[in-house]
Amino acid sequence: MSTHTYKKFEETESGVLPDKMTVYQDCLNEFNESPVNPRRCRTLISRLLQLLAQGETFPKSEATTLFFSVSKLFQQPNDSLRQMVYLAIKELSSISDDVLMATSSIMKDIQNGSDVIKPNAIRSLTRVLDESTAFSAERLLKSAVVSKHPSISSAALVSSYHLLPVAESTVKRYMNETQEVVSDLKTYPYTNGSSEFYPNSTYIAQYHAIGLLCMLKNHDKVALMKLVQQFSTGNLLKNQLAQVELVKLVGELLHKDPQMVTQFAALLSNWLSSKFESVQLQAAKLITSLPDRYVSPELFAAAVQTLQALLSVPRVTTRFAAVRVLNRISMTAPEKIVVCNPELESLINDSNRNISTYAITTLLKTGTSNNIASLIKTITKFIHEISDDFKIIIIDAVRTMCLKFPEEWKSLLDFLINVLKQGEGGFQFKNSIVEALFDLVQFVPQSKEVALENLCDFIEDCEFNEILVRILHLLGKEGPTTKNPSLYVRHIYNRVVLENSIIRSAAVVALSKFALVKNDPTLVESIEILLRRISNDVDDEVRDRATIALQLIESIKSEPQLYVAQDILQCKYSYDLGALESKLNQYMSANEDTYKTPFDVASVPKYTEDERKAIELKKRQEQLFAAPTSKRSGAASQSVDAEKNNSSYVGPTLQEQGEDLMITKYADEIASIEEFKGFGPIINTSKDIPLTETEAEFVVTGVKHLFKNHVVLQFNITDTLTDVALDNVSVVCTPEIENSTELEEVVTIPIERLMPSETSVCYVAFKKSEGNIMEGFLNTLYFTTRELDPNTHEAFEGDEGFQDEYEIDSIFLTAGDYIKGAFVGNFSACFDELPHSEVAVYNIKENISLQDIVDRLVVNTSCLPLENTQFAPSDSNTHTLKLFGKSVMSGARIALVVRMIKSSKGIALKAEGRSDDAQLCGDIVNELM
Amino acid sequence: MGNFFSSMFDRLWGVNKELRILILGLDGAGKTTILYRLQIGEVVTTKPTIGFNVETLVYKNLKLNVWDLGGQTSIRPYWRCYYSNTAAVIFVVDSTDKDRIATASKELHMMLQEEELQDAALLVFANKQDQPGALSASEVSKQLNLVELKDRSWSIVASSAIKGEGISEGLDWLIDVIKEEQL
Repeated sequence: MSTHTYKKFEETESGVLPDKMTVYQDCLNEFNESPVNPRRCRTLISRLLQLLAQGETFPKSEATTLFFSVSKLFQQPNDSLRQMVYLAIKELSSISDDVLMATSSIMKDIQNGSDVIKPNAIRSLTRVLDESTAFSAERLLKSAVVSKHPSISSAALVSSYHLLPVAESTVKRYMNETQEVVSDLKTYPYTNGSSEFYPNSTYIAQYHAIGLLCMLKNHDKVALMKLVQQFSTGNLLKNQLAQVELVKLVGELLHKDPQMVTQFAALLSNWLSSKFESVQLQAAKLITSLPDRYVSPELFAAAVQTLQALLSVPRVTTRFAAVRVLNRISMTAPEKIVVCNPELESLINDSNRNISTYAITTLLKTGTSNNIASLIKTITKFIHEISDDFKIIIIDAVRTMCLKFPEEWKSLLDFLINVLKQGEGGFQFKNSIVEALFDLVQFVPQSKEVALENLCDFIEDCEFNEILVRILHLLGKEGPTTKNPSLYVRHIYNRVVLENSIIRSAAVVALSKFALVKNDPTLVESIEILLRRISNDVDDEVRDRATIALQLIESIKSEPQLYVAQDILQCKYSYDLGALESKLNQYMSANEDTYKTPFDVASVPKYTEDERKAIELKKRQEQLFAAPTSKRSGAASQSVDAEKNNSSYVGPTLQEQGEDLMITKYADEIASIEEFKGFGPIINTSKDIPLTETEAEFVVTGVKHLFKNHVVLQFNITDTLTDVALDNVSVVCTPEIENSTELEEVVTIPIERLMPSETSVCYVAFKKSEGNIMEGFLNTLYFTTRELDPNTHEAFEGDEGFQDEYEIDSIFLTAGDYIKGAFVGNFSACFDELPHSEVAVYNIKENISLQDIVDRLVVNTSCLPLENTQFAPSDSNTHTLKLFGKSVMSGARIALVVRMIKSSKGIALKAEGRSDDAQLCGDIVNELM
Repeated sequence: MGNFFSSMFDRLWGVNKELRILILGLDGAGKTTILYRLQIGEVVTTKPTIGFNVETLVYKNLKLNVWDLGGQTSIRPYWRCYYSNTAAVIFVVDSTDKDRIATASKELHMMLQEEELQDAALLVFANKQDQPGALSASEVSKQLNLVELKDRSWSIVASSAIKGEGISEGLDWLIDVIKEEQL
């Protein structure tokens, strides 16, 4: 072959793929020649492989024809061609039929072939074997596993690994041989002096053997423990990957049963000082990912120390991995890695931007209010040098800081404004900054005016419509209540003059809201003038909006006592969008008749501005908390991308959405029951409360629904038995205080028949006096059991069944049921301003952590934790929890400050409550636990 | 220069050309044993062939490319993938397996109808003559209906691959025919 044609084949670098059909035809012609030209065939196969590697594929019939042609090359006893043939068979095996035709030829090579082709042959053998033919390869694989040649042994081990899903029993039969490989240190059989230049062996077979053994013994905990014991002693494992694999194995065992940490502690700390960086890393990663309470502080500290040392090694990948682990720890327990701060700070200027970004975000988490300012300064210096993806990570970190350290808003705001105004960056990046600023405006009231002013500057030169519209909306919402509303009007009107119709429409809406500003008649007048001017706009939408706004303003002026127009201009309420969507879907999917009655908006829950803020803040807080835990349970190797999505995700979590929908579903069910029609709308619905063990015969959960003058207890009962149905299931609820006058049972709606593994609902309704009634109910399930015919699943004829009862846990109507969490910007001011106060002290003897107490308090009071006090520091014995909520009955506010101290005797709580309503205040404070 | 001439002669006499020969037959007839008897002159222990074995051997100055295809029912459909450019077919029959000789006959005639094998010579080995109760070559020939074959050079030879009897006789005949007809 001339150099010219040879070159034509070697176009791998140029990226130009050879033509598929040409390669196909050439292969068929060339491989069926007699005799074949090995060199040409090799080149052809390499072109074929190049095509397949680039994602090209052949139809099954063509692939099969190709496979058969390739199989004809077995007649050529040429080692290098044979290697190519094996590669081709491997690739074609997945897209071609009848690959088993190559079995005998491959097996012959494994038995008698040269050492060069044996590993290739073994690897392609697993691709052609199936369940029925695998057993015939057992002897071959076994002898390959024990081969003295490391490549052959490795190939056999890895192939066996791939054979597991096909024929596990075959692989199991040479488990002992596999185990021997680990202790048998194989070296390459160099004959001449070349061993001086090449390493004798990497002992990689050890790694492959351990991997295979782990898979084989996957379900046998004792065997795995023995494996760890056997291989961790002495200096048996030479290969670092093998050691890493062993650490991973220990990790798997520990995640299944964290109790065993103490047993492995010595081993783990040994690995922390391994001579291989990867082993150190893996061990540190494992230790820091275990649940806190099982890991001794010393071990954790040792792991952090190892990571700290790894931060300053020359190898980039190691530094990256170490900082990544630290970053993960920083999400849950930033205080534990504060020691690494000096190293992390030096990494800020690391030449690798990925490392520096991780270092920064970690520092932002470990940061205290003292060093924030200096941190921000450092970030400002380099943020423009990194890619948008990493910028967004940093912005998200800054955004959580805004919520964590509201008092540092100034430097944070400066930073955000600064990066926002530097022209570079795409939509995602700018959007995340604007999101962060929105958070500041909403949850840090002090920063509002400065932030708004800067946003005004920003929209003067903003290229993204979406962002502009959102900012205009925010200005309209927040602007009228600021000290100097007219300032914003100018900026908004500029948009009307300069921008496209979408933005003009948004600006009109924002503008109209300023007409509601009280005590500034000139401003209102100017707004009217502006709107009138706009009503000559060229665009329909803009004109319409301006006209409507003018009309509304007019009607407010003429009839100020009517709030309809005001409500339309400046919405006080927003709907629960999830509920609205499901209601609308329901309405749309029903039959024609329902269209006769208009859609009832009143059935959709509405939120006031404060309530909405409370919900949003709660979501943010949960995200802060949920992100690291979900990551912990998820795969250990999550890409930066996935993390980014995780943290910038603003919508409600899936579970929470489920909860919201559950409540709507319950409400619908109750609304459809005749007996409850007179009760009016539901005021509050609690979460599901488990009243039995989940593995009980009958699983019961309870839900409390509050009406104005009624209480409905809903019991969801599941029959977990397989052959018994329950008839006439009812729940008898006895109030703890007998003859209580405040509650009077009205009606019980029993379940007629509960079939096995079905869930049904039983309701018990009480009439209650107005006001907050607190009561505990002792509950008993009454029912008649019916044996079922196992064949027909029908009750036996004539089986009377017998009466039975079943005690379930009590359900408590507490003060918390009358409360809904609410948001307030300035907690301490609000706390001081509330008139009635109450103090109570509790002593808790249980041995639980402060965090457990905090969680329990938040659930019991149904209040919203504010100022980030829902996280109790794990390194301190004291904590102060701040809670805020509103009564669902009267709307009275309640603010709570709970101080707690943990000592050896237990936990002491001092709760101080302030409220508009003395009764409510007392109830809450005295019923905390 | 001498080299050049010798290679010219080789090409003229077809010495350099490889001859493709297929060994076919039902499973357990002794195909693989015959192949290795030809190649290394020894009896090897064999397993049922899943797929095929291929060996190159030089016999009487001819380079033979001998393909031994598996005889199991599941593999027989793939025989046709290897028919092209075939100079001769060696069909091996287990002379003791009277029950399946009809099946063997059916497979043989079906194979010979293939277009690609129209010019191929046929050699039938009535194998396993060392075993008691084996049918003789003429009996096998009758059972296989070989006389019906028209336009084809064929021959049947009684053989025992284990003892090495009849194999070279058969092959000698085959080579002669090929040389005569195709070179």
